[in-house]
Amino acid sequence: MRNLLRLIKFAAILIWSAFVVAPFLWALTTSFKTANGVTSGATYIPFVDYQPSLGAWKGLFGSGGGSIDIMGPFVNSAVVTLSASLISLILGTLAAYGLSRFTYKAGPVGNADLTFFFISQRIMPPVVLAIPFFLMLGLFGLLDTIFGLVIVYIALLMPIAVWVMVDFFNQVPRELDETAMIDGCNPVETFWRVILPNSKPGLVVAGIFCVVFGWNDFFFAFTLTFTKTQLLPVAIVSLNSSVTPWWSLSASALISVAPLILVAFLVERYLDKGNIAGGGK
Amino acid sequence: MYGLTRYKLLFLLPGLLILLGIILFPLGFTIRVSFSGWDAARPGLDWIGGTNYSRLFADGRFWESLSRLGAIAFTSVILEYLLGFALALLVWRQVRFRRLTRVLFLIPMMTTPVVMAVIWRTIFHESLGPANDLLSLLGMGSIPWLTNSFWATVVVILVDVWQWTPFMFLLLLAGLLSLPREPFLAAAIDGAGPIRTFFNVTFPAMAPISVGALIIRLIEASKIMETVYVITSGGPGTSTETSSYYIFIRGLRDFQIGYAAALSVTYLVIMIVLLTIIAKSLSRYLVKNGA
Amino acid sequence: MSKKHYAMRNLNVALGGEIHLQNINIDLPQSGVVTIIGRTLAGKTTLLKVMAGLQGPQSGAFTQGETDLLKIPAWKRKVGMVYQQFVNYPHLDVRQNISFPLKRAKFSEADIARKLTYVTGLLGLEDYLDRRPAELSGGQQQRVALARSLVKETDLLLLDEPLVNLDYKLREQLREEFRRIFSQSADRLVVYATTDPAEAMILHGQVIIMHEGRVVQSGDYRDVYHFPANVIAAEVYNDPPMNLLSGEIEAGQIHLADGLKLEIPAHLKKLEAGTYVFGIRAMDIEVGGKSKATLALAEVNGSSTIYHLNLTGSSLVIEREGVHPLAVGTPVAFSLDTSRLYVFHALSGDALVFPARKSVSGQGDI
Repeated sequence: MRNLLRLIKFAAILIWSAFVVAPFLWALTTSFKTANGVTSGATYIPFVDYQPSLGAWKGLFGSGGGSIDIMGPFVNSAVVTLSASLISLILGTLAAYGLSRFTYKAGPVGNADLTFFFISQRIMPPVVLAIPFFLMLGLFGLLDTIFGLVIVYIALLMPIAVWVMVDFFNQVPRELDETAMIDGCNPVETFWRVILPNSKPGLVVAGIFCVVFGWNDFFFAFTLTFTKTQLLPVAIVSLNSSVTPWWSLSASALISVAPLILVAFLVERYLDKGNIAGGGK
Repeated sequence: MYGLTRYKLLFLLPGLLILLGIILFPLGFTIRVSFSGWDAARPGLDWIGGTNYSRLFADGRFWESLSRLGAIAFTSVILEYLLGFALALLVWRQVRFRRLTRVLFLIPMMTTPVVMAVIWRTIFHESLGPANDLLSLLGMGSIPWLTNSFWATVVVILVDVWQWTPFMFLLLLAGLLSLPREPFLAAAIDGAGPIRTFFNVTFPAMAPISVGALIIRLIEASKIMETVYVITSGGPGTSTETSSYYIFIRGLRDFQIGYAAALSVTYLVIMIVLLTIIAKSLSRYLVKNGA
Repeated sequence: MSKKHYAMRNLNVALGGEIHLQNINIDLPQSGVVTIIGRTLAGKTTLLKVMAGLQGPQSGAFTQGETDLLKIPAWKRKVGMVYQQFVNYPHLDVRQNISFPLKRAKFSEADIARKLTYVTGLLGLEDYLDRRPAELSGGQQQRVALARSLVKETDLLLLDEPLVNLDYKLREQLREEFRRIFSQSADRLVVYATTDPAEAMILHGQVIIMHEGRVVQSGDYRDVYHFPANVIAAEVYNDPPMNLLSGEIEAGQIHLADGLKLEIPAHLKKLEAGTYVFGIRAMDIEVGGKSKATLALAEVNGSSTIYHLNLTGSSLVIEREGVHPLAVGTPVAFSLDTSRLYVFHALSGDALVFPARKSVSGQGDI
């Protein structure tokens, strides 16, 4: 009975794991196919089911015919994501420190309301903002530019940074700030010399969240750019046309999610240190 | 404390002002645009009063998209909750392979939704995809995954479940790992079996984190559109069209900017009201149970 | 008092609807040691934070001579503070921790090195300079915190129950060191908050007794000991707390609980008949005598044994020199030294009559 239960448990974990990895394995095997390997129906094992080719991968890195520019969008995505994340992290961390340590009062608006304002931006459906963003960026000539996207992504990512960092700072003992002030630091010096050097875990989590959400955005990149400033998800989805080169599609999809899989390992390592509390609140 | 005011504002204001600028200004603009007849033919801020709003009330496609969104969001989130809970329970007491399973279960929620949706679309391709191929191996006929309204909805939900069950899993596992040991010892001493222990001890103790996880996921699910765009483009017909996607078509495809703005405002208000009601009633349930 | 003495006037602090300090009026000398004594949540920490500039009062004044201290932000004051939880900078090693305030105050490298050598020698930290706080024991961490607040020349050194989280032996040791360290610089006021009257007595100086956000009594440490202003001062400033028994003066006798009758001692002859609260220190009750009560608890505390006896409606605590363990439930005979009786008002708790001053051994130099 006990063994049977354990077997069922094991089988369930195995089935879910298979479900999780299935699309990755499928993409991996497809990325080595040629047109023949795709159009002859679903095949799985290279050399047995189909003759593998490196054509798709070569195409991505610019050599050979039918090459697809994926590195350009990759760099664009990296630039937009990293700069927006960095700015959001800086502004969000500053605001979060203020909200965690000081009392703000403007009429009926207090700290809780301000914190809620920051975090509640996550509730906003992107489509509601897309239209005014489109018109505004157009007005300032920022459509289809890296700069325009960075501005939009700041609005997307700052709430995440504030959310994580308020939670983090609330767990840092106030006595640390007080001691720094007594030792002659004004609040800015306190933040810079004492609080920030001790905030690495929070900053890492907030940074990871910002990068993942920024990297994964499709909708704003899709509606606010055309051809000049293409981001990675948009480039990949645009391959998803009627005559689909599945092999290139799969290879570029794998390249695009590879950094995220690395990040997943990072996150898991972080969780393993027992720093899970921030995510649970 | 003396001397703080200057510094207080120095910390808060940069972020606050920039966010206010990026969000509130466009939002106000949207509200104004919703009272205009701005479209591709006549771009500009004229004033047509509530015309867009009265048109919207008679727009069956919008209300259908809302109810469809509700059905897809609730089904996905409930499935994700049940599966995530089950997986968390499976891994909870397990020591071996815990890190491996955890990182494995984490990956789908980290990966780009649209990119994975592109892959899923190839998997559910009617003649070339592995989904039907595997079914035929099992001796079953092929299913029109993307060309039948019912199956297309199933695929959209399935992809959402694949992507977001890990989120539930992660939060619920964190909850399980932080549970105190005593109630479980007490239940074991009382001779309660695993099922009774679950319903009497585990589940009530997990109520607060469950409510939190459900609310966060419902908020996110209420925005579903990207995967729909990639997998079905709202089709066949409009059978998988969600509200966000419909607004997107009206606004940035048909360039009926004024009308799309009115749809946006209505959609936002409905979402905020509904999500507030759901959050409030879920929290009330919490208080009643003393959790 | 000197022209530069500290004064608090009508000071009030309320946080989130909770009153932390109520109408505080105190005067503190420019230098020396002042002990604030009170139970947990008596308002000691809040008072120290006001002094440090970390907490602004809702109303009232805090001045040093002509200077309005409330107008000076914490980081511009010359203050040091040590918390009960050992607060150090986790990302800096001991050397960097201690020199942190000196660097902020722009001392030269040579000055910093000199002061560092002096203060680490004073506190026995020479061997740990390259360690991080997390690699030190609790006692060492607290020494680092103390070193950091001593190393800069401050006008005011605030210590908030600095020994409470340390074990007994370390507490004894550091307590003795404090007296030596605090006397090193004459031009500084040390304000030391504690729940332990023994620490106050060892440090000498002025004592301020606090209770529920108010100052109950303030004065020379000996005067407060001999003349507690009311029952709260009598309880808080004695360890074990002074026994307080309500009773009547009737027909030339004192009637206490359980039919305990005492002759009226000379210093109480003038009291009218009526109900009072009688106070007597644990050490002024002898074991042996006519009265008997059962033992509820016996604890050995250093070199003495403390008996808790059951009386109807109250208990009686006796302190006996030496180690004399007894089984719980044993009847213990005792006798009160009636010449040591304090008398308090039955309703207000204010002190009415004190016994004559007497030098006491074992409680420091009283």
